[in-house]
Amino acid sequence: MAKPNDLVQGTLDLLILKTLSLEPKHGWAIAKRIQQISGEVLQVQQGSLYPALHRLEQKAWIKAKWKETETGRQAKFYSLTVAGRAQLEKEAANWSRLSAAINLVVETT
Amino acid sequence: MVWARRLWFRLQTLFHRCRVADELDDEIQFHLDQQIAENIAAGMSGEEATRRARIKFGGIELAKQECRDARGVPLLETVWLDARYALRTLRKSPSFTAVAVLTLALGIGANTAVFSVVNGLVLRSLPVERPNELIFLENARYGPGQSFPNYKDLRDGNHTFAGLVGYRIAPMEMETDTGPQRIWGYLATGNYFDVLGVHPVLGRFFNQSEDRHPGGNPYAVLSYSAWRSRFGADPAIVGKTIRLNRLPYTVLGVAPPDFHGTELFYWPEVWVPMMMEPRIESNAWLDERDTWNTWIVGRLKPKVSPTQAEADLNAVAAEMARQFPDVNGDLHFKVTKPGLIGNTVGTPAKAFALGVLVLAALVLLAACTNLASMFTARATDRLRELAVRLAIGAGRGRVVRQVLTETLLLSLVGGGAGYVLAAFLARALSRWRAPMDFPVQFDVESDWRVFLFALASAIIAGALFGSAPAWRVSRIDPNAALRGASTAWGRGRLALRDLLVVVQVALCFVLVSASFLALQGLQQALEMNLGFRPQQVATAAFELNLAGYTPERGRAFQQQALQAIQQLPGVQSAAYSNSVPLSIDQSHTGVFPADKTDLQPSDRIGVAFYQVSPGFFATMGTKLLAGREFTWHDDTKSPQVAIVNLAFARRILHNPDAVGKHFRGGVLGPFAEVIGVVEDGKYESLTESPEPVVFWSILQSYNSTTTVEVKSALPATQMVAEIRQAIARLDPELPLYGVGSLEQMLGFAFFPTRAAAIALSAFGILAIMLATTGIHGLVAYAVSRRTHEIGIRMAIGARPGEVLRLVLGKTAALLVLGSLVGLTLALAVGQAISSVVYEMQPRDPLVIVSAWIAIALLGLFASWSPARRAMRVDPMVALRYE
Repeated sequence: MAKPNDLVQGTLDLLILKTLSLEPKHGWAIAKRIQQISGEVLQVQQGSLYPALHRLEQKAWIKAKWKETETGRQAKFYSLTVAGRAQLEKEAANWSRLSAAINLVVETT
Repeated sequence: MVWARRLWFRLQTLFHRCRVADELDDEIQFHLDQQIAENIAAGMSGEEATRRARIKFGGIELAKQECRDARGVPLLETVWLDARYALRTLRKSPSFTAVAVLTLALGIGANTAVFSVVNGLVLRSLPVERPNELIFLENARYGPGQSFPNYKDLRDGNHTFAGLVGYRIAPMEMETDTGPQRIWGYLATGNYFDVLGVHPVLGRFFNQSEDRHPGGNPYAVLSYSAWRSRFGADPAIVGKTIRLNRLPYTVLGVAPPDFHGTELFYWPEVWVPMMMEPRIESNAWLDERDTWNTWIVGRLKPKVSPTQAEADLNAVAAEMARQFPDVNGDLHFKVTKPGLIGNTVGTPAKAFALGVLVLAALVLLAACTNLASMFTARATDRLRELAVRLAIGAGRGRVVRQVLTETLLLSLVGGGAGYVLAAFLARALSRWRAPMDFPVQFDVESDWRVFLFALASAIIAGALFGSAPAWRVSRIDPNAALRGASTAWGRGRLALRDLLVVVQVALCFVLVSASFLALQGLQQALEMNLGFRPQQVATAAFELNLAGYTPERGRAFQQQALQAIQQLPGVQSAAYSNSVPLSIDQSHTGVFPADKTDLQPSDRIGVAFYQVSPGFFATMGTKLLAGREFTWHDDTKSPQVAIVNLAFARRILHNPDAVGKHFRGGVLGPFAEVIGVVEDGKYESLTESPEPVVFWSILQSYNSTTTVEVKSALPATQMVAEIRQAIARLDPELPLYGVGSLEQMLGFAFFPTRAAAIALSAFGILAIMLATTGIHGLVAYAVSRRTHEIGIRMAIGARPGEVLRLVLGKTAALLVLGSLVGLTLALAVGQAISSVVYEMQPRDPLVIVSAWIAIALLGLFASWSPARRAMRVDPMVALRYE
């Protein structure tokens, strides 16, 4: 299933953290949000989203709480912890450095 | 706080696995429902929408597994799973589990109980401030005792101690509601409580300024237990008056409950300032430089090592020797740990405790061997199950871990039971008060150290006996096992189980021979020639000085009492003395040979002495080898006479027939003429070699401490009651102590031997039980696995005798091999046992032969029923089997 828009691990973590930085969301909303923002380019493998969420929760970067959605159903909402916010800044900085470097290599002829 | 959150997670995962699993299901279901709703909104049918949603999600179960992996701590979780699985397996075979737990409980319990004693006597420090700074002082010649003037010189002359405390164990007579009673206490210098750093629970303690003038400070500090038992925990006790030796003392305060002075085996009731010594004891010795009655405990200054302190003390000693050459000529000090009167009691007690601990460890090792073979057999029976687990993908490590979890779980349960057992035993021992006048009591109740020991023993035992089945399991060949080959594990060679039986028999041999040795030692001790015959002798003691008698009145009273007792019906003979051999109260003196004219302190020979009345030897049954006994004419008006024992005659007078020879009792003492020689005996302990002893006539040298000995054919209880009445008729106020038969009184001397015999017999019995079940298990297992083979052999004409040889031949070989290893081991650990057992000869052939016979009988007994079963195998049934 190697598609060009497959997400490498680590990148998914960054995307999840970034998505959660504005407000708490449940898993479905996170997947949707990433898809929308990236202009449908990034397709989150739904099967790998949940393990990633649980892993982040285990690392105490995000925390979970059962809440009601607008439609009145119970859903598990994830939100960023303080440690998670710090991690997001770190990973975002890393990403910028990395992508800038790759850009440089790719665009230099 | 991140770690706390993680921990919370782990625990949550562990204990709410179901809830977490439900949550995960709900979470993913929610996701799917959202997708389905979106799909339907996009125009799909319900069924199609669900199918598409599932496809889009991917492997749902896989995702769930990944979530669980991401979440749970795999190790902790598998341990939990393994433990639950192990519990289930163990519950399925309750008798197996019960035997295993019982074996462990006994093995670990025995070790923990012994360790409690070691802990209480060796490891635990005194309940005072910074106990590590405390040392006990011994000198090379007199052991623990120092003279009080020497104490003062040491106290004032040293540079390495924050304080030196002088004290003495002393009996005193206290007036109670039920009349005067003899109690035990401490005489202690004024700095005692300050230097030790103990704080009263009530009132205050005496201090340095309240211990200045002889007889001038009648203050008393009560022990907590005395305050509770004798004064009903009276909250207003401080300032009240108690009467000791008929004089009033003001109670200053009460000591804390766990403080019993500086000796770990002695519980005093009262502390009195040292300067009150002349009022407490019969002879005043505070100014006597040659009376070695003071014990010294010191607190080192910070950062001073015991070695430095020793050097410092010996520097002071050199100066003291210069000042008083005849007394302090060869003074040399040594510092030891306080608590057990330095090395006097400490060294033998520690050797004893460690020796017993070694044997207890062997018992546990035997138990582990037993369990190892039980579990290996069980693993064999579970071969198919384990092979299936391996075949469907369980890692070998995982299967081994499962086996180890099971054994560890069992050993923790067994260890817990053992700890409870040991704590119960230790509590009983702590409460137990030896039937003696002297308050010997140990606090060996279990504490955190004992708990840790039990836990460590359980874990080590579990790992030990688990390693055998684990090793087996790790070598399973699932392919062969699943093909139904019962021989998937090798046979024929010396297999692991056989090795375990050899180890077991060897350990059993060591323990059984140790317990035989202990019993033999006890029997020898009981039959040993003590130099007197304690049978049918009753004793009673009183202290006339404490009761206010002057020497003149005391002398008269002693003779009146003796006459009254001699007239009692049934009395064959009676006498009195200052003490009897093998009691706690022993006295020593120095004597000088008569042929020396220019006496040097180094010519002095230390001997034990007794002051006895006429008729003493006849009453005690001591054989007079030459000369005569004392008569009533050997009093102050006649020349000084003495009776000596054979060792004295040989060593000091250089002639076994010493009657008529002379020696000097003390530097300035008069010459004494030897009028009789008596047989050697035991005086301080059963293990001593013959010691020189002199007996003085008590008519020539009065002693207010009086023990009456009465020989009579009447039962001791009846005799004792009559002695009591006879003395009460003369002085109803006089307290008696040490009343009972002489054999009873000797309990103190026989105590170590008895304790060793009891402990080692218990170990021996445990070892026999373990070895019996071990051998039984081996043979029964061999028979059950070879039923088929036996059937074939019988079908082709093997006779029962040949079958028997087939079954028992190997067992017998293992027994012989094990006994040989055991013999070697027994000789090797003989040293450890000899410290426990009196006069032990680890190479005693009788003991070795008895142990061998015991092992042979045990082997026969253990293999009896499985061997019969083997002989009764019906070939038809056996061949149809499987």
